[in-house]
Amino acid sequence: MTAAPPVLDVRGLSKRYLGLTAVDDLSYSVEAGTVVGMIGPNGSGKSTSIDCISGFQPADGGQWFLDGRELTGLRPSQIAHAGLIRTFQNVRAYEEMTLLENLCVASQESDGVGWLRALGRGGRLRRAEAAAQARGRDLLASVGLAEYAGAPAAILSYGQRKLLAIAASMMARPRLVVLDEPVAGVNPTMIRRIEQVIHALNAEGVTLLIIEHNVDFVMSLCRRVIVLESGRKIADGPPGVIRSDPRVLAAYLGKTRATELAAGGV
Amino acid sequence: MTRGGSLRTASVALGAGTLLAVPTWTGNEYVLALGVSFATFSVLASGLNLVYGYTGLLSFAQVGFFGIGAYTAVLLVLERGWSLWTGAAAGGVLAAAVGLVIGYSSLRLSRHAFAIVSLSFALLCMIVARDWVSLTRGSMGIPGLPTPTMNLPGGIHWRIAKPADFYYLLLGFACAAQAMIYVVVTSRLGRAMRAVKLNEALAQSQGINPLAYKLLALALSALLAGAVGGLFVFYLTIVDPSIFDFYYTETMLIMVIMGGPGSFWGVLLSTAVLTALPDALRFTTDLRMVLYGGVLIAVMLVFPGGLGGWLQRRRLARWRRPRSLPS
Repeated sequence: MTAAPPVLDVRGLSKRYLGLTAVDDLSYSVEAGTVVGMIGPNGSGKSTSIDCISGFQPADGGQWFLDGRELTGLRPSQIAHAGLIRTFQNVRAYEEMTLLENLCVASQESDGVGWLRALGRGGRLRRAEAAAQARGRDLLASVGLAEYAGAPAAILSYGQRKLLAIAASMMARPRLVVLDEPVAGVNPTMIRRIEQVIHALNAEGVTLLIIEHNVDFVMSLCRRVIVLESGRKIADGPPGVIRSDPRVLAAYLGKTRATELAAGGV
Repeated sequence: MTRGGSLRTASVALGAGTLLAVPTWTGNEYVLALGVSFATFSVLASGLNLVYGYTGLLSFAQVGFFGIGAYTAVLLVLERGWSLWTGAAAGGVLAAAVGLVIGYSSLRLSRHAFAIVSLSFALLCMIVARDWVSLTRGSMGIPGLPTPTMNLPGGIHWRIAKPADFYYLLLGFACAAQAMIYVVVTSRLGRAMRAVKLNEALAQSQGINPLAYKLLALALSALLAGAVGGLFVFYLTIVDPSIFDFYYTETMLIMVIMGGPGSFWGVLLSTAVLTALPDALRFTTDLRMVLYGGVLIAVMLVFPGGLGGWLQRRRLARWRRPRSLPS
């Protein structure tokens, strides 16, 4: 079968800090149109691997490709241009800017208006800005923040900021969005809202990779889950299989308890 | 246009008109000297605001660009017979080139590296001006600069001799420089600069290359500071190493901090007030600088974050005020 290349293809990614191997020969791919979850205990290398493929940390080994185009070694801004957008675990927003500005900034480097045109203020710039504002308002409406479009981002709650970050990640119509812990520290009502937003975006054709601590959230949202432990991939498959995988149980619950459960047949 | 917008346009037009009319009311050299000082500092402070207030880079290099422009213009006009215009422009271009070199070499490390390098650069400029005697004539400087002339369109030969002439020259340049800065900061380039200052990693993750915007801000501010140095020095009629004095750095930093880093109009207003303030306090010669210091402290207590910061806080407070919940 000659399928299109996966949206994201990671091969043999490694990252070491002095003696510690944070990511160890990690390979996986994400197919177009899917929502893939990535889970693993603390320190299993989830966030480090994302920092590497988004260019925020130099990798020590491996290659990665977006739609078959190699991204290895590029700067974060170049990787974003290529179509891989990531959010951050510790939510980030431009506090002094309005929500709408937060969103318009997020797409301004990808709409083809160069520096001179940006200063000239001609028709092309006006059209690009109008299009960005329209998309920004749509996205704010879809995450339920429409009424705050003109408010500075500093007034938002923690959960609202996560929603803003998800909306911003969609502005430039990326090929792949990597959400780094979208629901950590968020109340249950907001978690349901974020889940709906992710479903809606995926229905529009956005491919997502979701890094999470919250196992239930990932299991209910994703049809495929990758599990990391100590920087290695220990399981990769549908939630039903992952749930009963002895290595996953061992990683999460400790060897003894996992063996008991396996014997008892959960 | 919004009501706030037309109010702003009206007050800017009124302010510019008043400034242009000043020499017709008074030939008082002191008043005109304050005007020259305001025009010069407005270019330096707004340039610093572009770099520090918008892009978030603490820079001590402005005075270095200012002095490089001054020396370049003087040497080209005196030794090479260039006109004032081309000499000042060359000063600006050289300052921008130097700015790009120190910016590119240090900004790839960190913002802090840049702050240190910019400070060292400013100190180094003064040492070079003092010790490279064959070029700069050392600490005595180059006194007795000639009266510059300028060929204006329409065949007018303008001899820039009287204080009023310098007043118009520098005010005219300052208006052009402010307009350039205003166009940049209100464009999406300015928005990207603010994004870089507010959250650099987020900006990067959205495809913004911070280095490019930092270098743009630095080069533009250096270009304008160098050019204004090249013009201002002919008003002083002497260029010596004191053109790199820390006094300039200190004054423009105070102007930016009081006006509110990242606030175009706030910094322009604080430049005007702080130019006039030492003069307004002249009624008491002994206590003048003490009072000046007192005013600075009082303003920082009432307006931490400057005028611009105060306006921002008011905007926040308006949104935070409890409102009726949407049903």
